[in-house]
Formats: sequence, C-alpha cells, structure tokens
Amino acid sequence: MTEANVSTAQSSAGPAPEDWKPHIVALVCNWCSYAGADMAGTTRLEYPSNVRMLRFPCTGRMSPLMILKAFEGDADGVLVSGCHPGDCHYVQGNLVARRRFTIFRSLMDFIGIDLKRLHFAWVSAAEGHKWAKVVGEVTAAVQEAGPLPGFEAPKGWDGIELPDMAGSGPQELDDKQLDAICDNLRKAATEILSTGRAGVVIAYGQGNLAGRTRPVFITDGADCDALVWGQGCRNNLSTYVASTLEGRERVAVVAKACDLGAISGLIREGQIRRDQVLVIGVQCPGVTDDSNLAAKCLACSGDPHPVCDLVVTVDGVQESCEDPSQATLDTADARDEQIAYLESLPHGERWKYWQRQFARCLRCYACRAACPLCYCASCVAEKHRPQWVPTSIDNPGNSTWNIIRAIHLAGRCSGCDECARVCPADIRLDLINRKLALEVERHYGKVGLDPGEKSALVDFRMEDSEEFIL
Amino acid sequence: MPLADALPNPYQPSLVRIHDYVDETPDVRTLRLQFVDEGDARGFAGWEPGQFGQFTVFGAGESVFALANAPWRPNGHKGALILECTFRMVGKVTSALRAMSTGQVIGFRGPYGNHFPVDDWKGKHLVFIGGGIGMAALRSAMLDVINRKFEFGDVVILNGARSVADMVYTDEMPSWEKVDGVKVVRTVDPGGETEDWNGEVGLLPNVFEGLGLDPENRIVIACGPPIMLHYLFLSLGKVGYSPEQVVTTLENKMKCGIGHCGRCYVGPFSVCRDGPVVTWAELNELPKDY
Amino acid sequence: MDASWKLTDVQLMEWLSGLLEGSNVVAPVEEDGVLLFRQIASPDQATVTPSGKTRWSPKEFLFPRSEALYRYAFKGSTVLLEDPSGPDRPQVLFGVRSCDASGIVRLDDIFLSGMKDRLYAARRDNTTIVSVACNAADPECFCTAVGYSPVGEEGCDIQLVPLDGDWLLRPLTEKGKELVGEGGEAWKQATAADRKKIRVIAKKVTGQIERSPVNQEWSQVLEEGFEHGAWERLAQHCLGCSVCAYVCPSCSCFDMNHEGNAWCGEQCRSWDACTFPLFTHHASGHNPRKTKQERYRQRVLHKFAFKEEGDQPFRCVGCGRCVSLCPAGLDIVNTVAAAVEAIREEGANAAR
Repeated sequence: MTEANVSTAQSSAGPAPEDWKPHIVALVCNWCSYAGADMAGTTRLEYPSNVRMLRFPCTGRMSPLMILKAFEGDADGVLVSGCHPGDCHYVQGNLVARRRFTIFRSLMDFIGIDLKRLHFAWVSAAEGHKWAKVVGEVTAAVQEAGPLPGFEAPKGWDGIELPDMAGSGPQELDDKQLDAICDNLRKAATEILSTGRAGVVIAYGQGNLAGRTRPVFITDGADCDALVWGQGCRNNLSTYVASTLEGRERVAVVAKACDLGAISGLIREGQIRRDQVLVIGVQCPGVTDDSNLAAKCLACSGDPHPVCDLVVTVDGVQESCEDPSQATLDTADARDEQIAYLESLPHGERWKYWQRQFARCLRCYACRAACPLCYCASCVAEKHRPQWVPTSIDNPGNSTWNIIRAIHLAGRCSGCDECARVCPADIRLDLINRKLALEVERHYGKVGLDPGEKSALVDFRMEDSEEFIL
Repeated sequence: MPLADALPNPYQPSLVRIHDYVDETPDVRTLRLQFVDEGDARGFAGWEPGQFGQFTVFGAGESVFALANAPWRPNGHKGALILECTFRMVGKVTSALRAMSTGQVIGFRGPYGNHFPVDDWKGKHLVFIGGGIGMAALRSAMLDVINRKFEFGDVVILNGARSVADMVYTDEMPSWEKVDGVKVVRTVDPGGETEDWNGEVGLLPNVFEGLGLDPENRIVIACGPPIMLHYLFLSLGKVGYSPEQVVTTLENKMKCGIGHCGRCYVGPFSVCRDGPVVTWAELNELPKDY
Repeated sequence: MDASWKLTDVQLMEWLSGLLEGSNVVAPVEEDGVLLFRQIASPDQATVTPSGKTRWSPKEFLFPRSEALYRYAFKGSTVLLEDPSGPDRPQVLFGVRSCDASGIVRLDDIFLSGMKDRLYAARRDNTTIVSVACNAADPECFCTAVGYSPVGEEGCDIQLVPLDGDWLLRPLTEKGKELVGEGGEAWKQATAADRKKIRVIAKKVTGQIERSPVNQEWSQVLEEGFEHGAWERLAQHCLGCSVCAYVCPSCSCFDMNHEGNAWCGEQCRSWDACTFPLFTHHASGHNPRKTKQERYRQRVLHKFAFKEEGDQPFRCVGCGRCVSLCPAGLDIVNTVAAAVEAIREEGANAAR
C-alpha cells in the first residue's frame, strides 16, 4: 500500500523515542509452539507482551511471503516457531522449512534487515518455559535493533560504489573465427532441420540496433542463413523452449554455456523432457552489455559444455555424448567481491542500497518474463485472494516482489543473469541471485547440471545445519 | 490550479446501502441499493437503461454491473430512489459483495456509457434475448418497456440458462407475463433440464429460430456470452434480420468507466465511453477483439 | 513570443537555481549509473546535456506509477471517504526531450478528455515544461520517422536549444514567459543567427536517423489487416512483459485496486499494460486477447492505428526506448513496416 498504513515508527526518521516498544509478529505452528505458548500462559509465566501470534498448521506452510507481509505491515521483528526436527505432525514440514528459512534469512541479511529482527525457534507443546524464554530474548533483540527502517528510497544519500569486477572473460575470437563458428552453426541447423532431428531451431538473428540480436525460430533449412553469432547473442533462448514445443516433438536450441543450467533446470522440474530438446552448444566469445563484457562472462571460459547434444566450435560440429549428471558448472564468479564488499557494510547502508534500487523497479515483470525458470502459469504477484504482493508500484510492493522472486528461484536459479540484463532500472538482481546461490552451495552443496537432481530447497537432510534456530 | 480544484474526483464513489436482495440462483444475487445521501441520488436521476455503474466493496475493489432496474421516469415509478444490480459470484470483488448483508454500505459511481435507444423502439415489436447473467443487462430496458407497454408492439422475452438452477429472475417472470402482449420463453441448454421442467430445451439461437418471428418491424436486443452471440448472429442473419435491427451490449473488462484506463478498447472503440450498447451493424465495423 | 535569449552554462544553472526557490524541480539525475528524472535539491544534481535521454520518460511526475485516488476508512456502520489533496507547490519538469514533451500531450489527450482526471489535471496545470532540443540522435531514436521532431515544440512551455556550449532559451507559452519572469533582463538577447541554429540542428539530427518514415496511410492498412497471419510471426519472440509500455512516454493504461487493511485503505491506481494477459481477462475466464501476439498487436495498433481522423499524430512519439530496452529485441517501427508489407502483399485476410 502506498501511504495508508505507514506506522509512525516507520515514517519518523532518527532515533526511536525512549518509551518505544517493538511490534513483533510470531508465526507459530499449531501443533507445538502454539500449545507451548498456551502452556506458558497456564503456567503463569511472565514474559513480554509485544508478540502477536498467528497460528499455522505447520512451519512448512509458512511462506517467506508471510514474514515479508509482517514487515510490510510495520512489524519490527518476526519470530517463527515450530516443532523440533523429527516431531513434525506432517513428518517433514519443518525440515523443508528449515532449509527455506536458512536461505531466506541470509537474503534478508543481505538486503539489510538486521537479523536481530528475524528469529526462528523450535518450541514443543511441553516447553512453556522455553516459549517464555524465547519471547523474552526475541523482544530484547528487537528492542535493541530499534524500529524497522522504512520501505522508502533514501533521501540525500550518495550511494555505494561497488568494487570493479575483474576477469578476462573467454578466449578472444576474431571476426574470422566468429564467421567460422557462425558457418558451422548454420550447417548444423540446416542438417538438423533437413534430417528432421528437430522441427524448429531457436537461434539468434540480426537485431535492429548495432551489436544486438533477436531470437529467431527457424523451421526451414533454407532460412538458416538468418542465423548470427557474436557478442550480441545475449538472450537465454531456453526461455522459449516450452512455448515453441507446442505441436512439435522436438526443438533444437542454441545455447551458450551459461544457458545450460536453465535447460537442465527445466528438465529437472518436469517442464520439458530431455528427448524433447536438442541442445546446440556453441563456443562463445562472451556477450556484451552495450559496450562492456557482461558480468557473468568475466570468469567464463566460453567453451561449450560437453552436456550438449551438438557442440559447435571454430573447428566444426561434433556430436557430444557425455552424461549430463557428470557435469558441474564452474562457479568462479567476478561478482563475489562485490557481494563481500556489500556484506562488509552495516545493515543500514545495505538497506539504503537496495531500497534505492527497489524504488526504481517499475514492476514491468521483465525479470519474470525473461527468466527461463519463471514458468508458473499464474505468478504469486497476480494472486489477489489475498493480495500477497501489493499492487502499488512503490518500495513496499517492489521490495516484496523482488525478494519473493529471488526466494522462489533460490536453489533453482542457473545464474544466466537474464533478469538483471532485461531490467530497465538496472536493479542488481544478479547480485541477489549469486548471493543465494552461494548460500545454497555453502549449506547444501553445489547445484549441478544434473537433471536428475532435486532442487536444494525442496529437499532436506536430518543433519542440515540449524545453528541460528533458538 | 483553480480549474483542477473545481473538477470533481471521478473515481470517488457515492455511498449506497444494501436495502435488500434476491438470490436468483446459487451464485447470482440481485441487490437493491439505496443512497446513503439522498442528494447523491438526485445528482444522477437521469440514467437510462443499458448504462452501467462501478460498484465498490471497500477493501476488495470495484466491479462493473449493469443498472438492472427500470429507470426513474417521472410519474412512471413508485417508491424510493433504488438502484438494482445483478451479479454472479466469480471473482474477488463479487465474492466479497456476496458476503455482505442488508444494511451494509458499498460504493457506487456512475452511470456510465451510452444506453439502449428505448424511445426509438416505440411502435415496434421487440425481442429480448438474454443468456444467463446477460439478462441483467437487458432487465432495465425490459422493465422500462413493460412499464409503458402501450407505446410498443409485441414483446417476446427469451430467458436462457445453462440449467434450470441457473435461471435468473424466475420470481419475477410471472409478473412480466401478466402484461398484455408480453410473452416470456424460458429455455435451458440440453442436459440442463429437470424432470418437471416445462420450458424449452435447446440452445438460445435454435430456440429463437423455432419461434418463427417475422423480422418485419422488429428489434432484437441480445446479451450473453460471446459464444452465444456468435451463433445467435448467424441465426439472425439466416432468418432475415438486418444488422441494424439487432442491438447488443459489449461486456469487456472495465476499470475506470470513463475511457481512460485503456482496457476496454475494441480497436478505437472504448466500450465504457462509446458503448456498451452497440448494434450488430456497428459491431461488424469493429475488429474482432471482444 | 518573440523574445529569446542566449545563455551561458553558468547563467542556465543560475536560472535553474532560482527556479528551485519557488518550485519542485524535476530534472535528469544520474542514479547508480541510470539517468532518470528525479526531484533535485540543487542545480548541480541535474544532468542537462545537448543530447541523450533518460531511461524512461518523466510521465511519472504527472501520472505516478501508483497513487491513491481516494482513501476509505470503516467507521461504525458506514465508510468515510477522503479525497487526496492536489499538489502544494508548482512543479517544473526541466530538461525534457521533445519526444517526451509530445508524449505528455498524448497523455493529455487521454486524461483531459471526456470526464477529466482531477489529479492529473491538477498536476498538469501546476507543471511547467522546460524542454531541451536534441543535438544528436541516440541509436534507437526515430522521432522524425513518425512525424515528430528533435526540436519539436509541442507541449513545451520553454525550449532550450544547445548552441555549441551556450543555450538558446525560448519561451513558447504564457506559462513559459511567467517562469522566465524578470530573469530575461540580465540575459543577452538571442540573434536571428542563433535562432537559425534550430533548423540546422533539426536537419543534422534528422540526417542521423536512418529509419524510413511510417506513412500516415498505414494506419488504415493496419486496421484492415487486423486479423492477418503475419502478427503471429512478428511477435513470436515477445516475452509478454511491459517494459515497452512502462518506459513509453505516451502509454497511459492503468489498473485500480484497493490496498489496505481491516480498518482503512485506498483505491490505488497503478500503471498497467496491454501486454499483460490479465489486462483484458474477464472474471468469467473469457479473454479477448488470449495470446501474446494479440496483445502485442494491440499495443502496436494503439500507437499507429485506431485514430479517428487520418491526420492525427501517431501515439508513438519515436523516442525508441521500447526498441532499446525490449528484452527480446522487438522493434515497433520494423514491426509496423513488416505488417503493412505482409498485409499489402498477401491481402488483409491472409490466414495465420
């Protein structure tokens, strides 16, 4: 909402008044913590009264949206409490939730929410004393953190200069080499169409502005001359695979190394079958964002990945028959230094950094449209009963949208950077995605290219880390 | 600045209170609404059949419904200044509206759009064809005609529904039939009939053809789902109606009601500003985008 | 309005600084590497340059991305309504490109027609537009191809023209004259030679724009070929986002939703776009424009066709932002040309 519900605490800048008391929202599981709180009451334990409780059937039912909604509705802190691992009424709800909250917590920290505001606890029905203790600790922590900073663009703030990204990018290819690749690619596409290996080739054609390309859908071998190759081939064409499949058995798609993760993601998530797509991996010179080499290219070799069906290089076209499950993507990334720098700043600065970017968000949903893995027929942004993501195009709504999109892609995002590329407001969505990928990797291991693997956030292990849980 | 300050806020609704309601079917309800402030009511007493309003459920949003009762004609109308609308519970707003009870306050702004040229129909025979909730858009014109039936020729009302349970205005159809020269035909889609159903069974276009009405000096006023209208127009053409004789209303998605928000465009035609009432002839001039 | 002056950079900045005293001044500002219109607090924040444009148009200062149309609060058995107040200080849009100024006039066509939009009208009345003619075209620019000009005066209250380091300042309306006020007394009068530069610039920039012009008669062709099969091919790679509409100076579609809590809230108007499937989706499930091709066609035709008279200006002002920012590389001018060609060659009703 735009103005109707801005609390006095939010709108008034400066230090909180002395008698300020935090608002805390507790999302609790019905089967344990709710009863635990009841127990605390019947045992007549005294504990702070700042907490408003919302009862849920399970922590597994709690979406980060609900936590965001609480912050947006001017809660200064949020407590999520459920059953101890192994005690879930629905067997594994809390175990999946544990992973989700681990990642969500690091995202909130990254965008500048002081983690003194966001707490997780396991409190059983018998633990009345623990409930009282947890509420006491949480209240003290939120009291210390002070009123939630406003969802608004910082005024009179100079911004943060991030360190430059370093990296040499892929091996340089001269015009002759690029022409050779392009010729080989055209040959491969003609061959595919003439032998009927696929009904259509999704590739790049000449764009209307210098150095730009556009996706083309070639169904006739004679049209393959329209194919181009070079540094302007920025799109991740796997976005088009599912829609192009309509009425066809198999589509061929031209893919750079950075596009492959999305294709295996689509297969892993059942959107397409392996046999429905013929992947043409092409040796890549790196792509440019107007004049500079794109951030994702800086640490990339540009070599086509062996998991492709066909590999096109300067030298020719080869069939590739490597097992995709053996593959891992090289995860060195030029952005890690920028992430580390942002994390070295205090929460307040990070909050300003991101709020200023979110203030620019137009909610054009280009990030969603360009993302190969944002394939939901009906997006949470359009769900209006209830309206989880506010419709208003301002900081509260924009923050919720960008945060929830990042969370929905955590553990799934293939790092192709399409969202950041298409954003007209230059919001650094790539930093957020990269940060979450790092977190997922740190906690649950690498996200590979294996279509048989489960996404990290729909999976769990009993021994998953939980050092942050009270 | 003074100029703009003098302008009214076109989006701020008047408050109306739910006086009472009729449940037409399990999911269709007709509300009778009374203005909280009588002054607001007098402000637009001049509305005509076919116009629509924006109804607000505070907290849920706005929804467009046709004004469904007879217009407030001098001498011709009895009782308080009441507005009626019939709606089906399908979305966020209509579900919230359905949950409201007598005495509660909602918002209304309007009337918007053009209207049925009822006065031009004087002396002519009329056929009203309504499919499902489409009847709601015709009811105002229909009641206006029935109230002063002596000015018009024969009136045939075709009320079609998917099934017997989905038929709207069942309670009031007998009172329409009582008027001399008014014939009401009830019809349900094949498969929608019950054992004790004594009306017609069949798709509206077919039932209409079966009536064998002479197109001479007759006006057809139709409203219903796009697919029904498509087949109805085919039937009408077959039995010899000219496109000028057929009037319908376009029910595009609308938000602002005043031609600004852009979503109800059919080509250059803004349904809320230039419509919703169009003749079949006018419709033929528009791109197929409705 | 014959008076015009030649100002140095310093004089221009002094004048801008004076404007800040009585008005909210909105000018191009660089933020995180993106050039955007923002309210400025001092003249040095503004980036007023002879060429180049902001990432999106300044339309949001007249037609905000989101605004409350009215507020409501539940009270007992009734509801209290509150009308939002209008602007309290005059607003100056400074450094607006000619295409964007024309875009604002295209917005006026919508919001000030029929039943006027009170909030828009109040802001519009309250706003003075200082435009800057373009000294060079960006690669995506095509204003001259659609009947507009890099030195266009439409919608401008004052026009600034870059003169090799200096600025020609021309008040074009009463509002513009008022904004200049006494300022003119200290400035050097412009000469005829200075004014002649306008035509020189126009010619130069027109030469830089290589697009072939969109013909007025094409509107009719596009309308006739509404159902032509080419549309499916032309918009095959459209992704269905709304970058094009939101960065467009003349796109004006909006949505309205209640945003609030159990006690109070507001009718919130937000930008919306015809490229979204929900834009025309009926609650019943019927959608007149089911496919992205139909939706893209609507956007193109609303810019280039669907006009009441043949000689009305196109609703596309040629800023080219939708071309450079489209994630899928769609190009509205090429689309129009290709559609017209296909319709003419294959007949208006060629199958899909």
